[in-house]
Amino acid sequence: MRQPEEKIQVFANALLNARQQVGQCKTCFHLSAENECEICKSEKRQKELLCVVADSRDLIALERTREYKGLYHVLGGLISPMDGMTPEMLNISTLITRVNNEHTKEVILALTPSVEGDTTSLYLAGLLRPFTKVSRIAYGLPVGSELEYADEITLTRALEGRRSMN
Amino acid sequence: MLVVGANGVGKSNLLEAVELLGSLRSHRSSSDKDLISWNKQSALLRAQVNDSDEIQLELRRKGGRQAYRNQKLLLRQLDLIGPLRCVGFSALDLELVRGEPLLRRNWLDRLIQQLEPIYSDLTCRFGKLLRQRSQVWRHSQNFPQKDRDALLDAFDSQMALASTRIHRRRKRVLSHLQPLASAWQQRISNNKEDLELCYLPGSLLDGAEEEEPWRLSIEKQLLDQRPQEERLGSCRVGPHRDEVVFSLNGAPARRFGSAGQQRTLVLALKLAELELVGELYGEPPILLLDDVLAELDPARQLMLLDAVGETHQCLISATHLEAFEGGWRKGSQILEAQLFSGLEDVS
Repeated sequence: MRQPEEKIQVFANALLNARQQVGQCKTCFHLSAENECEICKSEKRQKELLCVVADSRDLIALERTREYKGLYHVLGGLISPMDGMTPEMLNISTLITRVNNEHTKEVILALTPSVEGDTTSLYLAGLLRPFTKVSRIAYGLPVGSELEYADEITLTRALEGRRSMN
Repeated sequence: MLVVGANGVGKSNLLEAVELLGSLRSHRSSSDKDLISWNKQSALLRAQVNDSDEIQLELRRKGGRQAYRNQKLLLRQLDLIGPLRCVGFSALDLELVRGEPLLRRNWLDRLIQQLEPIYSDLTCRFGKLLRQRSQVWRHSQNFPQKDRDALLDAFDSQMALASTRIHRRRKRVLSHLQPLASAWQQRISNNKEDLELCYLPGSLLDGAEEEEPWRLSIEKQLLDQRPQEERLGSCRVGPHRDEVVFSLNGAPARRFGSAGQQRTLVLALKLAELELVGELYGEPPILLLDDVLAELDPARQLMLLDAVGETHQCLISATHLEAFEGGWRKGSQILEAQLFSGLEDVS
């Protein structure tokens, strides 16, 4: 109530504009003000690498790493029959078409390790395997954490995803 | 410690609180809402376990549980397990022999969770997989056959892995329990009864006890049973169909055991459990006996006293002191429970 009215008006308009203007990229379904998002448009990206995420928040988190230079595909959720989320409610058929048309060399599945995330990963891997190489991000210990303080679930997962050093 | 008082003054309540702090589970109810006073928003359990550890569990109608150790909020309530270990024995446990297979599976799961807290993650995950999978069948008319099969494949491979791990742990704990329980049954029955614990897994487990062959075999069984699953609406393979058969001298105790034999059997199982948990942690767990000691005949009461001896701390409830054999009364602290006023030391 102490804020000047004009300031509130500007803020409210900004919210309204965002709601009206932000849509989805027609290719990867990331949030975008235009028909095609910045990432899909960029010439600097490796077009043969595709990373699959559940929603735009995950994409933004991966972008912050500045490590990944490929393209993305946003599913719009995870498969969960209990919550009525079936495969056809997600952007899966568009993913298959993309992989076929764009000659993708590798698809990286970056989904959370929950029952729903793992189900979606396995389902997608089965569909994509005939067309391209499919991999999954590793689950393990966060950097900076001590082994002895890690919880058992994380440790078990990290053990399962161990790497040979020969 | 003997807790004595009339019916309904809260003796079992006290024992249940100790059990809940020790295992995060109550054998009497599965919902926290039933554990909170009907006109209250939350319930608080607090225990000074030893000189250095105070643990606290808050049950709330809204927002679930909050666990504290030495006044510090724990991120996971699972971390509360440790300072307080207990083995409970109540009249409901007699159903362990007579009742449904589900009761025996829950009993096994509670025991494994004491030995290996991570186990609860495995059973939760399996339960969720089972529920998600059954929804696929329920809405199968919405899927093209190819999609449905691909989705079931994705569930099968996860369920096969979780099943393998649950089967292995259940099998292992029963094989540890077998010699201990059998020795107790022999002792209590004066060498007349030979007890055998037989694990009947809900999946066919052939070959060596290795993760990989079992997992592949279960995955194939899940695939093979799909036509029946489609007709009957329930998954026919997995640890949710496990059974444990207790046999006395070769005959299943569920059908052929007398009431006395069944009671002895449950006692033998509990004593074996007590030994197993004590062995693993190098410290005897607390034995909680809710209203059952008085039901045992004097010979069995003495046997139990002998077994727990001076080493175990026991929390025992009964309606009247006379039910106990002299030996029990002698070395015990006696608390009298009264309605609303709490406990009074009368020893």
